[in-house]
Amino acid sequence: MSEKDLQKTENTAVTEKIRNVKIFVPHVDIYETRDALFLIADMPGVDDKSVDVEMEKNILTISGRVENGRVKDYSLVFSEYEVGDYERTFTLSNEIDREKIRATVKQGVLRLELPKAEKEKPKKIAINAA
Amino acid sequence: MKVRNLLPDTVRKQTTEIDHPFYSLQREMNSLFDNFFRGFNVVPQGFAAGMGSFTPSVDVKENEKEVIIKAELPGVEEKDIDVTVTNDSVTIKGEKKEEKEDKEKNFYYMERSYGSFCRVIPLETEIETDKAQASFKNGILDIKIPKNQKAKEKGTKVSIKTS
Repeated sequence: MSEKDLQKTENTAVTEKIRNVKIFVPHVDIYETRDALFLIADMPGVDDKSVDVEMEKNILTISGRVENGRVKDYSLVFSEYEVGDYERTFTLSNEIDREKIRATVKQGVLRLELPKAEKEKPKKIAINAA
Repeated sequence: MKVRNLLPDTVRKQTTEIDHPFYSLQREMNSLFDNFFRGFNVVPQGFAAGMGSFTPSVDVKENEKEVIIKAELPGVEEKDIDVTVTNDSVTIKGEKKEEKEDKEKNFYYMERSYGSFCRVIPLETEIETDKAQASFKNGILDIKIPKNQKAKEKGTKVSIKTS
């Protein structure tokens, strides 16, 4: 084991929770193309049913529940990660076309495509020859 | 883990609680380093590349009958994972591939890491290598290996005769 190990960061800023589990901040990649914003989050242990994506005004919240992650009646030999839920909130600057948001989950990775609204897309202005 | 391996068995057994202060301190330290390097928000290159490459987190649990190894491998394809079992160790090898479909990307966040990884997990007890089972679901690799019961019975009890 070395320092480069990827550890989950616990989210301590969230409000009091009901479920007695830790909440982690998933690691994300966010990138923008001309037409859309992409958000990819590593959330090992979640599937398409346990992920929630919410958007309120320009606040985007992704959350995921990990069920049955714990193994009972076993003693721990060594542990590098803990089982827990995921949650992270983002503020988006671009106007997003909400109707066209697409989300997929594959192998514990959430992939969000947030298409930009038509009016936000960069426009090329044709130049007329005089 | 390295330090722990040097400790006698009795000490090791005591340190197997989840919320042991040593573990939480280690976790804190690791995340501190991670966050520090992540804070630069750059694509790691050269020397720093090693710091950013993907290493799966592994949990090892056991009871009297079997050993359970769980590894977090989000975004890794099943075909890219290679699990090898020997008498006293388990090796998890693989590669987390970066998708390269879009060419024009402007990154805002880059926290996930990619690359090939290899982890060797030493085991204290002998295991039955041919009965190992592995499953992969939702980015979590689950390996179950039964312990070798014969190895456990190696010690034979000697009765003491009174003269």
